[in-house]
Amino acid sequence: MSEVTTVVTGWGITFIIVATYSMWVVSRGKIIGQELGIGEMEQADPGKDADATTDL
Amino acid sequence: MDLTPRHEVEAPDELRQKMHRRRRRTVLVVALILVAAMAFITAQGLRNATLFFRNADEAVEQRAELGDRRFRIQGRVIPSTVKSESGVTTFEIVHDCAVVSIRHSSDPPELFNSPWIPVVLEGSWLIGEVRNVVGSDTHYFASDRMLVKHTNEYASANEQRLTGEPPEGFLDQCLFEVPAATS
Amino acid sequence: MTSTTRSNAKMTATPATRVLGVLAIAATALMAVLGLFISPADVIQGEAVRMLYLHVPSIWIAYGAFVLTSVSSILFLRARKRREDQGRHYDRLAGSAAEVGVVFTGITLITGMLWGKVTWGTYWQWDARLTTTILLFVTYLGYLALRRLPADPMVRSQRAAVMALISFINVPIVHYSVDWWRTLHQKASLSVGRRPEITGEMYWTLLYSTLAVTIVATWLMIHRYRVIRLEELRDEEALAALISSRLKNDDGSN
Repeated sequence: MSEVTTVVTGWGITFIIVATYSMWVVSRGKIIGQELGIGEMEQADPGKDADATTDL
Repeated sequence: MDLTPRHEVEAPDELRQKMHRRRRRTVLVVALILVAAMAFITAQGLRNATLFFRNADEAVEQRAELGDRRFRIQGRVIPSTVKSESGVTTFEIVHDCAVVSIRHSSDPPELFNSPWIPVVLEGSWLIGEVRNVVGSDTHYFASDRMLVKHTNEYASANEQRLTGEPPEGFLDQCLFEVPAATS
Repeated sequence: MTSTTRSNAKMTATPATRVLGVLAIAATALMAVLGLFISPADVIQGEAVRMLYLHVPSIWIAYGAFVLTSVSSILFLRARKRREDQGRHYDRLAGSAAEVGVVFTGITLITGMLWGKVTWGTYWQWDARLTTTILLFVTYLGYLALRRLPADPMVRSQRAAVMALISFINVPIVHYSVDWWRTLHQKASLSVGRRPEITGEMYWTLLYSTLAVTIVATWLMIHRYRVIRLEELRDEEALAALISSRLKNDDGSN
């Protein structure tokens, strides 16, 4: 592998790992929140995840 | 206050226990794999890490006891000595003023071309008259595996050029002169 | 339980963490620009030096996270009998920090292997630094597994806290392995009391990247902490439901 390929692969993999882990943490929070019946507030929240409120 | 559960979480006792048992078994299997991995790593580490390489001067000193055993040797490549011929690269490495002639028989990593780069070579001593920068030697090191041991020095390629000069103070104590690199 | 912890538990995002999240994304974007484009290529390593800005900050963050896990574990063991919440706050902190630490140790290993392939000429060597680092990774994976082993929450947390303290022994060994043993791995990039052998632009990019990664890791830890709180609430509720269903059964039979 060339130097540039290595750098692109390394940065790419790192970003994928961090992004995947972040999404896993946030979605796990949402799922458990909904199970507990305390997730509605977040669904109604127009802030970060406006596209998630499909059932409104 | 409303104390009733907001949704169905009622699991019969046996079901819960069964779930717990299954989960416990999964975790135990994972733990077992982890312990096995740790044992393997430690074994590998003890075998290889304690004496990862011998510096060139030590390898020369221990030549008799090393015999034809395989080991790793470390030193900086003397730029003016590097020659490549039909898949075999010959060069000399130096550490603490001890010079060792190398016959390396596989493709060197890219960074090998940097002057005075420290390298780790895997192979063994072979008997054979060789000429080197110090004079001559009765043995050379036959290697088939090369690792470049880069340092923790970083410099901008825009500002600095590779000079071909040995690192500061590296050869100060040595009684021999190293010819300057031709290229 | 106070009303503030209740409201925090409702979702893992709060206005503060949203600001932090946006900041983390912006900081990472700037880190990529600096690390990939602005900072210069190295005189020996060429473009490969850009792995430095991922590899080194990642392990520093992992060290920091494992320090946090250890300190929190000590505080948990001290607080479990004194504090009203039985020290569960510290246990959650330890758990979330350890998980983030494992993620960044993993990143250190992956970026290191790729970097090793282009500079050393090999993905892996069983030298002291690499061996102790993978051992660190596996040990803390074990810690996370222990946290998932079903048991009474307090018993589980106590076991985990002890395991965290044992696991931490390896952290200084990893760091000093390059001084204690002969390694293929280079010496520490920066250390106290030694002139940095790294040119200015690279030095500042490295320090900035560490700051950016710290923001990302902090955001992750806060969210993970809140998710652990939610998991606890779920378990408590399941237990409460179990007890109430049993009580109902008892009422029926008598």
